[in-house]
Amino acid sequence: MKNFRIGVDTGGTFTDFVVIRGGKIEIFKELSTPQHPEEAIMKGLARFEEDAAKEVIHGSTVATNALLERKGARTALLTTEGFEDVIVIGRQTRRQLYNIFVTRPEPLVADGLRLGVRERVLYDGSVELPLDREHLRGLIDRIRGQNVESVAVALLYSFANSAHEEQILRELLPLGIPVSLSSRVMPEYREYERTSTTVINAYLGPLMGRYLHQLQARLRNCPLRVMQSNGGAIQAEAAAAAPVRTIVSGPAGGVVGAFHVAQASGYPGIITFDMGGTSTDVSLCLDSIKVTHESHVDGLPVGIPMIDIHTVGAGGGSIAQLDPGGALKVGPESAGADPGPICYGKGTQLTVTDANVILGRLLPRFFLGGAMPLLVDRIEPSARRLDWARQWKSLEDLAQGAIDVVNNNMEQAVRLISVERGYDPRDFTLFCFGGAGGLHAAALAGGLGIPRVVVPRFPGALSALGLILADARKDYSRTLLINAEGSDSKLRKALEELHRLGMAELQTEGFRKSEIQSADFVDLRYRGQSYELTIPLVRNFVEQFHAVHERRYGYSNPDSPVELVNVRTTFSGRTPKPKFGKSPKQRGKPQPVESRPVWIDRKRVKTAIYDRETLGHGHTIRGPAIIGEYSSTTLVPPGFRCSVDAYLNLVLEAS
Amino acid sequence: MKTNPVRLEIFKSLFHAIAEEMGATLKRTAFSPNIKERRDYSCAIFDHHGDMLAQGDHMPVHLGSMPLSVKAAIENRNIGPGDIVILNDPYKGGTHLPDITLVSGVFSRKKLIFYVACRAHHSDVGGMSPGSMPLAEEIYQEGLRIPPIKLMSGGKLNTDVWDLILSNVRTPQEREGDLAAMLGANRTGERRLMEVVEKYGWNEVSRYVTEILNYSERMTRHAISVIPDGTYEAEDFLDNDGITDKPIAIRVRIQIKGDQAVIDFSRSDPQVQGSVNAVYAITASVVFYVFRTLVSLLIPSNAGGMRPLQIIAPEGTIVNARPPAAVCGGNVETSQRIVDVLYKCLAAAMPGRIPAASQGTMNNFTFGGVDPRTQKAVAYYETVSGGMGARPTMDGLSGVHTHMTNSMNTPVEALEHAYPVRMLRYSLRPESGGQGKCRGGDGVIRELRFLTKAQITVLSDRRKFPPYGLNGGEPGQRGMNVLIRKDGRREELPSKFSTAVEAGDILSIQSPGGGGWGRK
Repeated sequence: MKNFRIGVDTGGTFTDFVVIRGGKIEIFKELSTPQHPEEAIMKGLARFEEDAAKEVIHGSTVATNALLERKGARTALLTTEGFEDVIVIGRQTRRQLYNIFVTRPEPLVADGLRLGVRERVLYDGSVELPLDREHLRGLIDRIRGQNVESVAVALLYSFANSAHEEQILRELLPLGIPVSLSSRVMPEYREYERTSTTVINAYLGPLMGRYLHQLQARLRNCPLRVMQSNGGAIQAEAAAAAPVRTIVSGPAGGVVGAFHVAQASGYPGIITFDMGGTSTDVSLCLDSIKVTHESHVDGLPVGIPMIDIHTVGAGGGSIAQLDPGGALKVGPESAGADPGPICYGKGTQLTVTDANVILGRLLPRFFLGGAMPLLVDRIEPSARRLDWARQWKSLEDLAQGAIDVVNNNMEQAVRLISVERGYDPRDFTLFCFGGAGGLHAAALAGGLGIPRVVVPRFPGALSALGLILADARKDYSRTLLINAEGSDSKLRKALEELHRLGMAELQTEGFRKSEIQSADFVDLRYRGQSYELTIPLVRNFVEQFHAVHERRYGYSNPDSPVELVNVRTTFSGRTPKPKFGKSPKQRGKPQPVESRPVWIDRKRVKTAIYDRETLGHGHTIRGPAIIGEYSSTTLVPPGFRCSVDAYLNLVLEAS
Repeated sequence: MKTNPVRLEIFKSLFHAIAEEMGATLKRTAFSPNIKERRDYSCAIFDHHGDMLAQGDHMPVHLGSMPLSVKAAIENRNIGPGDIVILNDPYKGGTHLPDITLVSGVFSRKKLIFYVACRAHHSDVGGMSPGSMPLAEEIYQEGLRIPPIKLMSGGKLNTDVWDLILSNVRTPQEREGDLAAMLGANRTGERRLMEVVEKYGWNEVSRYVTEILNYSERMTRHAISVIPDGTYEAEDFLDNDGITDKPIAIRVRIQIKGDQAVIDFSRSDPQVQGSVNAVYAITASVVFYVFRTLVSLLIPSNAGGMRPLQIIAPEGTIVNARPPAAVCGGNVETSQRIVDVLYKCLAAAMPGRIPAASQGTMNNFTFGGVDPRTQKAVAYYETVSGGMGARPTMDGLSGVHTHMTNSMNTPVEALEHAYPVRMLRYSLRPESGGQGKCRGGDGVIRELRFLTKAQITVLSDRRKFPPYGLNGGEPGQRGMNVLIRKDGRREELPSKFSTAVEAGDILSIQSPGGGGWGRK
């Protein structure tokens, strides 16, 4: 019986599976198979009877890894003649100010494959120089002899007039390789950002196409959808055509999962905190998931909408070391999975995970259900071999110091997405998931004045859960660059076009009209400004703009002309949501599985250890306590109280 | 009591984060593209003596000059709670007139415990030409000169000062928005520092204020001690001052003794008639920048890092101008040449560690005119990147800003929309980087046609003397400024010029390539 949907999230170490059957969430993991991610997926799916799945929703790292490791297609770029190097020069800045050995990200298009097309369109879409077809054919001949696997086409002002790009597409068809047009990938102004986004799409296209094709073939008739960076899932076929939209597929699933669980449990404003092995992702959601159009991946701008996730190099594997000036640094260098922390058996450098073990906070019995041993006894001798570590009077003191430093690094990351963007962290709940976060969340919340920490059920598989919860979502935009006053007819025309496209594509995705919703926005600014505010498209949107500008920046200029830069439409297709059932209240007090000394605030404190599986709705635990489970461990420090709510979330608050 | 390495790390990152947060406030709220898009600003925090504790990763050219603006504010005005001092006078803590600085105190129980300051490049502060980057001969022509005075007293805006400033600039509304953003940045710094004091207590905080200064000092001393002891000399030249065509020499002698350095510019040329005079603040910034790049780790930019460095720059020279010399080019051009001289000198001491010369100019380009599409006056300013000098182990980058600036370009699609110009070419300049074992980066070609008559000004350098190579590497190509008149006449123009152009005329700025490193 085809009756359930499966979320499959491929991670570096594990591939997570989530199913909801009969209102109950089930999770399990398989070891990932990085060379062929589909092997782990098929192995996991084999646990179900043939044809049982109604749909598979997939969070994939194929695009991300290909980009980071520069393993994408051999790509050519066709651009307006005279502007072939825009993609190299970028915004003419360097990444680090004081590093004379500063580098640039490796380019995705090799020298000699950036080719100038003879044509020129102007800002209003008018054609100054018609496309020179003869010249273009010469360029295509050059591409032909160079083993090019994919082509990006990004001409100046293609957002205002895409005719030349479309003509080039027709001329390229005989080559039989994928072509990405900037007027389709990202029809917005700013040539460098648009070209970069288009080139990334072309670079990832062949690989992503092959991978999804193979996976779909093995899934046979079971529909496959892929998570995008914007938090919505789309059909595999559409994802293969727009791989740039799937770059942060996995982390996006995490935020979507966190957001839905938080909404269902009654927490409208959350800061997501996902601490993994090498890095920590944080993101802020208030009534909705925040999306940005100005992301960078590996130093390259990506101008399509992505969930606004900030990543900092602080994780369980982050290495502690003393710098030559006498300060204790933790990260961004990481021991990764190999050699990993000392206690995994191979590492020699002290990591955050080791520090947690030293302090007695990370318990071998819970660590992945005891499947992976923690070699506690390896740590002390290894740490003794580190010269710099000798100045600490005890190993516990050093461990606590490393934790303090990494907590401070994460605190700065949260400040960046909250305080620096005008939000007060005290109005939010810290929503903690990922493997390593639970031991740090209370301290982090304390440092930021965040009143509450929530650790959902299955914190280690929230990304996979997010896949099941995600709606389908597609974003459309068009740059207009016109005066906002009197923009009605142009705006209407552009919107009609975006709506036609959106409705057709969502119907292709298999949604009925009644399941499809759309929302329109405009990007506005005062003439002369160079950044825009995105405002919902309402009748008096110009007035709204002045008000939002006043609120955000402390002033407005109602007399200044307002420019309408972009119009945006988001189409979403509603997917069936599982009901999060409330759990009945438990009577009685929870029973600890043991009690043992744990180092907290530089003191050995007798601490009760609980197994999360034994905790039920209504249970309350006073710190100090540690709550262990399959994929995560949560520390309840002294002065904190942890209660279990009706959705079986752990809720930590200062008591 | 021994320094706690954990607290040291935490405070180090805290103070830096506060300076960054001030910058984020400024960028988020500023009105003009110059601040928002080009990021031409800096924010920093200071201890109660006015010693800099941390600066955000903003403009290197402000590194040594931010402390001098705070010093000038303290010396000239008694700063109490709610007071904010404004200044731009290059001879009293400023750099060049467009850079306006706001300084305020942070008070705890009426005791002054910190200063905070922010500085931003305003796109117009009056003077003889739009954009306030003219080819001037006196500072009075360059714009409104603001000595350290109070913009706010006891929390109240001094509207007399405010009105006076706004009456002397071409785009008052934009200035108003930018100044308001700067006030917000200082308030952010103040608030955050108070939170830190509340959390850790003043005793602990003040202890680590001292420790952080010592930390940067240690790291800088360590970097200097690696340089072999001795006295090293170098010279390099600016093409000219834009008024006469005479080259201007900058000469430095660096004496390294153990873990300290004396940087002596005494033999440099006297100040000049044109606007490339650097005030002392610029020279101090450059010295600080260069030595900071020798420290391989990220350290806080603070007064501790300056302690091992003694600068000798006699008044009246090109590196320490006296009023009323014009100075706007000192900040953007001379600063780059002082970098080149210092690195050349250090290369003599450590041949294997120093990169060849980068483009050594910012190629400042300003134009003003009336947009025929709107009949409104427009003014525009940009800088153009070039080639980076080759490093001993790797090629220089192409088409990138180097050393004292890191400001962004304006997208072609934004530029043509807002101004009456047509960009014909924006590309790398092939073969302009110097050959060598490692190649210098290529410069760029930025070529545009004017669609209306306009007044244009270019303030550039390295059109006569190319960026040097090192260890047998070839020099980079010198830059070129070419004007192609509507009728096809082609004129190569000097480093610095101001001229009228007609609709149809084409300006081609070709920036220098970086020098090569090592014999090929």
